[in-house]
Amino acid sequence: MEVFVILSIILPIMAGFAIYMAKSDRITSMLSYIMLPVLSIMAYLVYQADLPMLVETPSVFNFLVTIFDFGLLAYFFWVGYSRKSILVSLLAIAQFILLLVVLSIAPHSDTANIYVDKLTAMMYLLVGIVGVPVAIFSTRYMDYNEKDKHKFVAIVIGFLGVMNFAVSANNVEWFFALFETTTLASLVLIGFRKDEVAINNSTLALWMNQIGGVAILFAIILMIKDFGVYHFTDLLAMDPAKMSMAAFGFLSIAALIKGAQLPFHKWLLGAMVAPTPVSAILHSATMVKIAPFLILRISPIIHNTLLSKLLILTTGFVFVAAAVFALTQDNFKRILAYSTISLLGLMMLAAAVGTPTAVAVSIMLIIFHGFAKGFLFVEAGILEKLYHVKYIKDMNRLFERAPLTLMFIFFGFLNMTFIPFGTFIGKWLMIEEASNFLSSGGFVMLILLVTTGGVFLSVLYIKVLGVAIKHHRFSKIDFTPMDRNFLTVSVWYYLWLVGTTIFIAPFIGYFIMDIVTPIAGSTDIYADGLSLVVGDSTLYFWQIIGALVLLLIIHLAPLFVKLKVDQTHPYNCGEIYPREAESYDFNFISKYEEKINVFAVTLFLLVLVLGGQLL
Amino acid sequence: MSAVLLTLFAPIIGGLMFGIERIIRARMQSRMGPPLLQPFYDFVKLMDKRPLMVHSFHASMGIMYFISTWFAMAVLMLGNSLLVAIFFHIISILALTIGAFSVRSSYSIIGAMRELIHLISYEPVVILMVVALYLVTGSFDIAEILSYDGIPLLQLPLVFIAFLGTIPMLLHKSPFDVAEAHQEIIGGPDIEYSGPFYEAVYTGRWIEYVYVYFLVFLFGGSNYFVGALLVVFTFLLMIAVDNSTARLDYKKMLQFSWFILIPLSIFNIFFLALGGK
Repeated sequence: MEVFVILSIILPIMAGFAIYMAKSDRITSMLSYIMLPVLSIMAYLVYQADLPMLVETPSVFNFLVTIFDFGLLAYFFWVGYSRKSILVSLLAIAQFILLLVVLSIAPHSDTANIYVDKLTAMMYLLVGIVGVPVAIFSTRYMDYNEKDKHKFVAIVIGFLGVMNFAVSANNVEWFFALFETTTLASLVLIGFRKDEVAINNSTLALWMNQIGGVAILFAIILMIKDFGVYHFTDLLAMDPAKMSMAAFGFLSIAALIKGAQLPFHKWLLGAMVAPTPVSAILHSATMVKIAPFLILRISPIIHNTLLSKLLILTTGFVFVAAAVFALTQDNFKRILAYSTISLLGLMMLAAAVGTPTAVAVSIMLIIFHGFAKGFLFVEAGILEKLYHVKYIKDMNRLFERAPLTLMFIFFGFLNMTFIPFGTFIGKWLMIEEASNFLSSGGFVMLILLVTTGGVFLSVLYIKVLGVAIKHHRFSKIDFTPMDRNFLTVSVWYYLWLVGTTIFIAPFIGYFIMDIVTPIAGSTDIYADGLSLVVGDSTLYFWQIIGALVLLLIIHLAPLFVKLKVDQTHPYNCGEIYPREAESYDFNFISKYEEKINVFAVTLFLLVLVLGGQLL
Repeated sequence: MSAVLLTLFAPIIGGLMFGIERIIRARMQSRMGPPLLQPFYDFVKLMDKRPLMVHSFHASMGIMYFISTWFAMAVLMLGNSLLVAIFFHIISILALTIGAFSVRSSYSIIGAMRELIHLISYEPVVILMVVALYLVTGSFDIAEILSYDGIPLLQLPLVFIAFLGTIPMLLHKSPFDVAEAHQEIIGGPDIEYSGPFYEAVYTGRWIEYVYVYFLVFLFGGSNYFVGALLVVFTFLLMIAVDNSTARLDYKKMLQFSWFILIPLSIFNIFFLALGGK
């Protein structure tokens, strides 16, 4: 089985190289299509294997990783120098010094450097099933007025391999190297169009993520000083009650930055200047998903400490604040980005809570959010290229020109909040779990945050759908077939979402609980036939299928419902020319942005200082 | 069995409640009021009218609103998790608002946006109410709540008061009928429906009556008499409030919910949690 782990990491990187070298359309398409079954099936085989397993690597690899680290830091330094960004250069130097410190004090360790458990295998599956279609999508997307198609696809596919590597690292120093490699990938991808905005935003993403890198290096130093080990498995084997939290405080900071939590959310928002597949890949399967993954890794250790409580407060605050900010936005991709930030907050919150149900919630959100966001960003890319729409106010009457695309967008949004979809089940279970905490005393704040954040997101999605469907007559719907490639990718996501929703109970009961049990222990969430049982509440199959049918009818209705009834004009108070009403813009919220950012910074410092017991 | 019957006859019960409400309101204003069955006479008349629509999607959303409200009612009666039943309600809000957005009418669109403000106002309070009921009875299961030994109301006075504050928002009653606001935006989301399609929306509203008052009934626990008393009391109170207040704007509604009702519920829950059940 080790061979599949290694192949999952190496094959995408090699495919990326091949695409980059060959620069031929046929090879690019062929390799990206082949990656889909290859990576998915290998991930499935790994998942089925006897897990967890440790993969030994030759000691020369340690050396290579160190060399790679220094090369990477030198490159960052050069980027900072050539773009005249002192911050980037300084951070690169700081990382360089800290890395030297780490190397000088690191004791020899015999623990294997690669660790694959069910969680890792789940991330492999996510990369295979959700990530690869984005690469396939970009092979066609880049044909529309974009340069360097092959380079782009190569980086995207190679990025998937890096992501696979990052989630299997056991050695925290390796994890640092891969963390910074994903930063490099985002630097290249965000700056891909090479115009001024793209360069600025990629520099922003670089220095923000570099702070995360610095935090990881501090964490490694503290780990070595406090415990003498620097592998995740060694740390997990220790007794959490006797551990100092300082190192984990720093790791949490790294996760919060990678997960674009306020006030570090700007780098993810800046990512929208890049070609849309970049957003799709960053939001769905890779990059930001490292954040909840990292918290899940350390959740057995930080469970029930002050650190976890402060993390809950911080991420819960972001969950609500980002959802509220999203209401003020008009740009479609920015709305999606804010809702990602918000839901990442919920994922990390659940991971920090660390009870079996909460961990299940976190994993559920990672998976379903990945599917829905990949889907939505792909559709955003299609809107942009085929219909030249970037703002939701431009979507008026778009249903007549782009019926299928809007139908897919409609479905993607429904997936983000409505019963019976996976994201909803995550929110529902989180509220139940929070209520459990209440009955054992305390944490009123958690329940308020989870409740209000969820409501704001629902309102956001309904508002966006409403604006997209505004002022329609649905008279002449243009059913010209969509581009083949675009259609395939969209339908792929669509079918996965419908399929997992119908079988959501067995999916959660068998697949997700399988992953949860080794991390957090077992709990009473199981599938009874096709109904989901959680403690003493049940989500019956007739409820699941009923809600699904209702929502399917609602989102298909614009296309297929044709009533044979006389038509009339809307009531217009006797005026000839109708006034066009706009939706609320919620702009008054923007004036609180400064205050909210200050508050978020305070929470960050609290996590580090109080949570990490630095005082 | 009674649950199935209640679900099936929910529109009829809701219609009767509508009729009773109209009579009581008239009496409060020293009028005679319409006969008890007036909502059903309206029903027959509306069904008989020539159907007219703005476009198919809009008309079908009116029907979907009715169906999903009824389905939410079925989930409340036949399912077991109260929390799930609360979330089903949002599907009907989706159908109503999306339908209202889709037409080229300012009144309808303003109404839809206000409907969303309604959602922001009442949803957190309703969820906190469910959580509070869980804290007292130890279960989200509706059957368990209804067989709880004791009266949840006694431990949840503030939550109950907060819920009373949200009922006008849920049922579009004065002072919080901002989404419908007949004198101002002429019924908001309802305006473009006519004939049988309006009838669907209208009947959906009846079902919402039963839905909301069933939630009130839960505060009686296994003591059905107290539950029924609470429902009657709330029903009369709501008519009195509806009769005696003027409409506030949506900002006032939001402030009232977020600065008064939510803190009230939190306060109550906080004390319960401190007491360590």
